[in-house]
Amino acid sequence: MKPGLKLLVAGAALAFFVALPQLITVKYYLHLSVLALVWVIAAQGQNLIQGYTGYVSIVQAGFMGIGAYSTALMGLHFDLPVWLTILLAPCVTAIFALATGYPSLRVKGHYFAIVTLAFNMVIFIVLMNFHQLTQGEAGITGIPKPGSRDGWINFRDREVYYYFVLIVAVAMTALAWLIVRSRVGQTLMSIRQNEDLVGAIGIAAWKYKLFAFVVSAMFAGLAGALYAHYQSFINPEIFGVAQSLDAILAVIVGGSGTIAGPVIGAFVVVFLPEYLRFADSFRLILYGLLLVLATIFMPRGIVGTLAVVWSKLERRG
Amino acid sequence: MIEILQQIVNGVAIGGVYVLIALGLTTVFGILGIAHFAHGSVSMFGGYLTFFLVSGMGFPLLLAILVALLTGLVIGMAIEFLAYRPVRNANHINAFIVALGLTMMVEGLNLEFFGHEQVVIPTDLGRVFNIGGVTLPELRLYVILAAALLILAMTIFVEKTKTGQAIRAVAENRDAAILMGVNVNTIPLVVFAISTALGVCAGVMVGSLFAIAPGIGEGLVVKGFAVLILGGLGSIPGAVVGGLVLGITEALAAGFISSAYKDVIAFVVMITVLLVRPQGLMGKA
Repeated sequence: MKPGLKLLVAGAALAFFVALPQLITVKYYLHLSVLALVWVIAAQGQNLIQGYTGYVSIVQAGFMGIGAYSTALMGLHFDLPVWLTILLAPCVTAIFALATGYPSLRVKGHYFAIVTLAFNMVIFIVLMNFHQLTQGEAGITGIPKPGSRDGWINFRDREVYYYFVLIVAVAMTALAWLIVRSRVGQTLMSIRQNEDLVGAIGIAAWKYKLFAFVVSAMFAGLAGALYAHYQSFINPEIFGVAQSLDAILAVIVGGSGTIAGPVIGAFVVVFLPEYLRFADSFRLILYGLLLVLATIFMPRGIVGTLAVVWSKLERRG
Repeated sequence: MIEILQQIVNGVAIGGVYVLIALGLTTVFGILGIAHFAHGSVSMFGGYLTFFLVSGMGFPLLLAILVALLTGLVIGMAIEFLAYRPVRNANHINAFIVALGLTMMVEGLNLEFFGHEQVVIPTDLGRVFNIGGVTLPELRLYVILAAALLILAMTIFVEKTKTGQAIRAVAENRDAAILMGVNVNTIPLVVFAISTALGVCAGVMVGSLFAIAPGIGEGLVVKGFAVLILGGLGSIPGAVVGGLVLGITEALAAGFISSAYKDVIAFVVMITVLLVRPQGLMGKA
């Protein structure tokens, strides 16, 4: 696809997202759209480490949890303004990511995946059992929304919050795009292709891998913070391994190693289970079946498949 | 001292279950390079089925286990043929996604067939032995013995039989195995059948020792992978050592430190081992 056309598609997508709240008639779908945008941020982060660097990490939801709990707890205990805690949350997450990424990036492939999965379980167990800090399964309620109640923008309004999250999601997608295009991004992709070769030409691959891991965690931390202030309530439930797997799904289903992939994938992961509600108790079975079929017949994800179809059309036309 | 011995005995029983799960995972991984995440849920299906046959249909326990085992063999082959074979040549992450999809499907089917109540497979093994102050329930003893027997059978099968030799050959070097006339289309079927049957045994053990409930299978498969990491991916002795280490660590942690954090401690041990010996306790460097 030509660069000009890509810009056009990106612009059309942006226009669509700006118009979306006006097109939606059911309030519940607006709620799901906010969640999907939060997932876009987390999935863009996941894509940096999984799609571009080739290291499948299974701790994205755990890092979302760290972001969500740190923004909530900092606001609660230190009485810091909401804007500040939202900005600090990714930094706290980054510290955790540094501490966990440094040891776990020494191993590769399935080992790395399972070690990060273990980290997610540790985070989950600590959130569940460290009652003094996290209030366990009951969770934290009454997390404030940003902005004051009588400010000129009312963030309690769902539509306003949608646009707020949209701006952040667009900014983070742009940031991911900038990282991928930079020399660092190129190095990440060469690590994915051939890590030994990268090492052989004198590049310290571990620094780049750690960078990708920490940045991806910061994306997750930010997403978690936005989620916490949107819902005003958090508990460990949604920061478990299953949700980390959803982040991986969003990247794979959308199109791994593409910028548009995580955007599409995040919406699929949030909306598809809702649309499958008609199947009632068979929902989980159907969702699993769709996943298996999609992986078998669209191994490169939605974006990858569309790109193939497009290039065929171009050649014919 | 007695207390420590008691926890070690408890740890060996749960460790035996981990070893069986890990054996299934490690053979699949060794041959196909697939992280078969659905293994735990399929194992739990075996446990559920046994429970249903015993409680619902009035089967004797051993017959129920036999039927569940045979069902497991068939399910294992079906999973390989229908789900994993089509993505055999794709990126490994795709096989992992298929595994996730399968997990959801099997968990969903378990819920559909057996409900969300937790179930315990009834056994009439209620006696408790007391050996020098260490209590050993009869059931736990049989679980340990059965696990040991299965591990032994599996080792003999892989080391001594023609099929076992072919499995090792494919794991070692797939292309060379093809050239030597090994049928690489049937080997994965055999491997999945056996690994699922082992999983069913583990499911029955979990169901009779503790309980089966939705979500248990996923927790178990994560433990299984932790065992593989501890012992070394693709290694049978590694799975045995790793499973026992993990089980005993957990039991000691639960007994002396905190039962809420026993999994955290087990994972910390796993990560520490990985940092010191990235190839696992028994893996080749």
